Amino acid sequence: MSELAFEDVTVRFGNGRRAMTAVDGVSLTVPSGAVVGLVGESGSGKSTLARAAVGLTPVSGGRILLDGRPLRPRGRRPLQMVFQDPYSSLDPRMTIGSSIAEAIPRGAVPGAAGRRDEVARLLELVDLPADRAGCYPAELSGGQRQRVALARALAGRPDVVIADEITSALDVSIQGTVLNLVRDLHRSLRLSMLFITHDLAVVRYVSDYIAVMYLGRIVEYGPAESVLQDPQHPYTRELLAAARRPGRSAPADLDTAPAQVADAEPADPHHPPSGCRFHPRCPAGPLVHADRAVCRDAAPTGDGRRNRAACHFADRAADRADTPPPGGPPGDPRS
Amino acid sequence: MTSRARWAGVLRTPVGAAAAVLLGAVLLLAVLAPLLWGGRADEVDTARILQPASAQHWAGTDNLGRDIFFRVLVATRTSVQLALLATALGVAVGLLLGTAPLLLGPRLGRLVTAAVNIAVAFPGLLLALSFAVIFGAGASGAVPAIGLAIAPGFARLTQTLSATVAGRDFVAAARIAGVGRFRVLLRHVLPNIAEPLLVNATMAAGGSLLAFAGLSFLGLGVQAPGYDWGRLLGEGLNGIYLNPAAALVPGVAVVLAGLAFNLVGEAAAKAVGPRTPTGTVRGDSFEDGPPAPVDRTGQSEAVLVVEDLKVSFGTVTPVRGVGFTLRRGEAVGIVGESGSGKSLTALAVAQLIEQPGRVAARRLDFLGDDLLRTPPRARPRLLGTSLAMVFQDPTTSFNPVQRIGRQLAEVAEQHLGDRRGPALARAVDRLRAVRIPGAARRARQFPHEFSGGMRQRAMIGMGLMGEPKLIIADEPTTALDVTVQRQVLALLAAVRAADDVAMLLISHDIGVVEQVCDRVLVMYAGRIVEDLPAAQLRDGARHPYTRALLGAVPDLATDRDQPLVVIPGRPADPAAPPPGCAFAPRCPLADDHCVRADPALLDDGLGGRVACWHAGELPEPVRAGAAVLSAATEGEGR
Repeated sequence: MSELAFEDVTVRFGNGRRAMTAVDGVSLTVPSGAVVGLVGESGSGKSTLARAAVGLTPVSGGRILLDGRPLRPRGRRPLQMVFQDPYSSLDPRMTIGSSIAEAIPRGAVPGAAGRRDEVARLLELVDLPADRAGCYPAELSGGQRQRVALARALAGRPDVVIADEITSALDVSIQGTVLNLVRDLHRSLRLSMLFITHDLAVVRYVSDYIAVMYLGRIVEYGPAESVLQDPQHPYTRELLAAARRPGRSAPADLDTAPAQVADAEPADPHHPPSGCRFHPRCPAGPLVHADRAVCRDAAPTGDGRRNRAACHFADRAADRADTPPPGGPPGDPRS
Repeated sequence: MTSRARWAGVLRTPVGAAAAVLLGAVLLLAVLAPLLWGGRADEVDTARILQPASAQHWAGTDNLGRDIFFRVLVATRTSVQLALLATALGVAVGLLLGTAPLLLGPRLGRLVTAAVNIAVAFPGLLLALSFAVIFGAGASGAVPAIGLAIAPGFARLTQTLSATVAGRDFVAAARIAGVGRFRVLLRHVLPNIAEPLLVNATMAAGGSLLAFAGLSFLGLGVQAPGYDWGRLLGEGLNGIYLNPAAALVPGVAVVLAGLAFNLVGEAAAKAVGPRTPTGTVRGDSFEDGPPAPVDRTGQSEAVLVVEDLKVSFGTVTPVRGVGFTLRRGEAVGIVGESGSGKSLTALAVAQLIEQPGRVAARRLDFLGDDLLRTPPRARPRLLGTSLAMVFQDPTTSFNPVQRIGRQLAEVAEQHLGDRRGPALARAVDRLRAVRIPGAARRARQFPHEFSGGMRQRAMIGMGLMGEPKLIIADEPTTALDVTVQRQVLALLAAVRAADDVAMLLISHDIGVVEQVCDRVLVMYAGRIVEDLPAAQLRDGARHPYTRALLGAVPDLATDRDQPLVVIPGRPADPAAPPPGCAFAPRCPLADDHCVRADPALLDDGLGGRVACWHAGELPEPVRAGAAVLSAATEGEGR
């Protein structure tokens, strides 16, 4: 298993006045054998980051490293991706067996019989009977398709698997099955994973580390417990407040943001705000606290702050003992 | 349905059968006619030149005394052969040009695309004529001429289709797996666009048959002594006043053969294209199943009373007897998976089910008026002013070319009879009421200038143009980001509290419903399986499906060391509801009785209703789930 590292990665689309920076100088590490959950809203650039890692989108700046070495610009990468929509990620004209077989690297298993056995092994790995290899995707339910997609990703013998919103297109009753499978696979294969979702509750369930992305930048990153129990960035707090929790809350409690920012619109990624990109919506920012003009002028960095929170007013790392060192995450908390 | 069955189905339609017979006859004639009648067609008889039609020569004779009818039959081979050859050339060149952008990469690909786009702009026949002049008169010139004239259109079609397929995730997945461009094209792209291309090629063959006849007619196609239909037509036309049959017969041949190809193409397009389900409503479809029990609690204050509501499309009945009552100011949520009938229930209440859907109910009362018996003319007024509807996708619920303010004002003009000025003022006021910053300015903007959350607010604002007594919100927050979701839910709650408006909230997310609603209806396979107060959801749910739904989705208190509750199997198929309980195949409590008999939705005496033979029982697997839940509650206290 390997460590995937993004170093100051920037992805830009278009040029001239219509240019848009979808990912803006992101540094993020997926430690070996760990699941990193990447959370953010639509337009935050999380899917673009994933597509850049697997080579579907060219990188405009920075480097993507696997175990310290840059990824090959072309050809097969030791990274695999599982997509959001299982209805479009499998070729409807191909049996699921041949879809999976296609992803097995050439020379990995000898002969046609070897490939067949490998497909059977992979199908069983994702809890599907091996004799389903001859089925077409149309014969499978959404959850089963998503499991086939997982098997196809594993067929490529990846060092790192990237899962992009893999449960959000599934019915509620099926999401649990897929999440259980992801956890089991991670435990049994010690896979490194970048797990992308907009749902904090889902990310909490599967991740060791959580990274929060807002408008192309990582605003907070740390061990899952630390980010969830003690969020440092106001945006993370807002996401947490919006996440599912058991029990009822009075309607008035639904929206607890101060009046100045309660009805703020999400920022336009084509014209990101100056300084801290969250400041027009921030309950701790200049719209609520008049003396905090610094948020408008300067982009905060997470260096030296707890959970690397990119906020001018987040706690300093020095205030606490249990802080990840700057530049990278600490070791696996369970080891 | 498999594609083979679909093609067989097309053959059974009148158009498909006629087309197949016609094309078969043309092809058979092309093969057999020269063998059978080749001699007679070339037989020169100087004694009988330019004779009119007679019993001996059905279409008369030409200037060498040859029988025109047999010449037309024999010419079938040349005509069809050349047309097919030209089509094959055109399709081949078109495929090459159309798939080139995929193979060459973006930069070179753009050049090819631009070239094809320019070529498409020229009329096909004009291209064919100019190519025919360049390549010289004769069949060897006309084939590339017509082929090249077909190519641009075909290339463009290939390009569009392959670009669509290439954008799908499975192609991305293949590329990640290291599959080369050429293999991606062969294995993934071409098989997925083959059907529409084939249909188009068939139509193109019909077109090129006509084009060839045209070129030959003009003397640019087949040269003497060879002959095809176009040439025969040209020759026959010289003596049309003496012998009309000499021109008519080749003309009819061209028309019939062209029709054969085009009809086959049409029929095939029908097989390939999207189909709408057809079928007749069975007379008994509204009678089966146990009658839904009547909920008579507090109907005096009821805003909406629904009893035994059924929605059917052909033979499929996705909503099978739903009954509930909504009182003033009450918020009721309907949860269920896709296909459970929750959205159709909402649409049926709002009278928005379109043909061929059918709505039936024992009772569907809105504000005391029976909607099913209200004359259709009175309905829009009642619904337009007293009912507000919020849809899932705010991008499609506004007219994109009209300003937001205008669209809101229209409601007031239509339903309240307001004049333009006051209507617009009210629109701005309503936008302000749904907390849209800068309402007056935003009223002048177009929908695309609004973000998703703002558009959803404007939609709610539109509902508030009248004086709604009921808001139906169908997945109002599903398309929105989580933080915006919260704002919209809070807004709905505020609107409800301000005017004592009842709300029907449809959602797949039991968490959202739990937070916002007073009562929760859980739907499965077109039935309500449980109806209970939202406050009792966590520990008072008695239906195994409700419990499983709660455990299947993690929340912020889920125990990370426990697996999530799994509901085995797949959601019930609305087209084939089982005779017993629809949830039985996936239910840990199910026994023989459940499979045989459908449980009725019965009052449980605790303020809820539940449809389960084993309501409230705990099997082994669910007990594990219950452990998760209790651990979750402890976690919350932490």
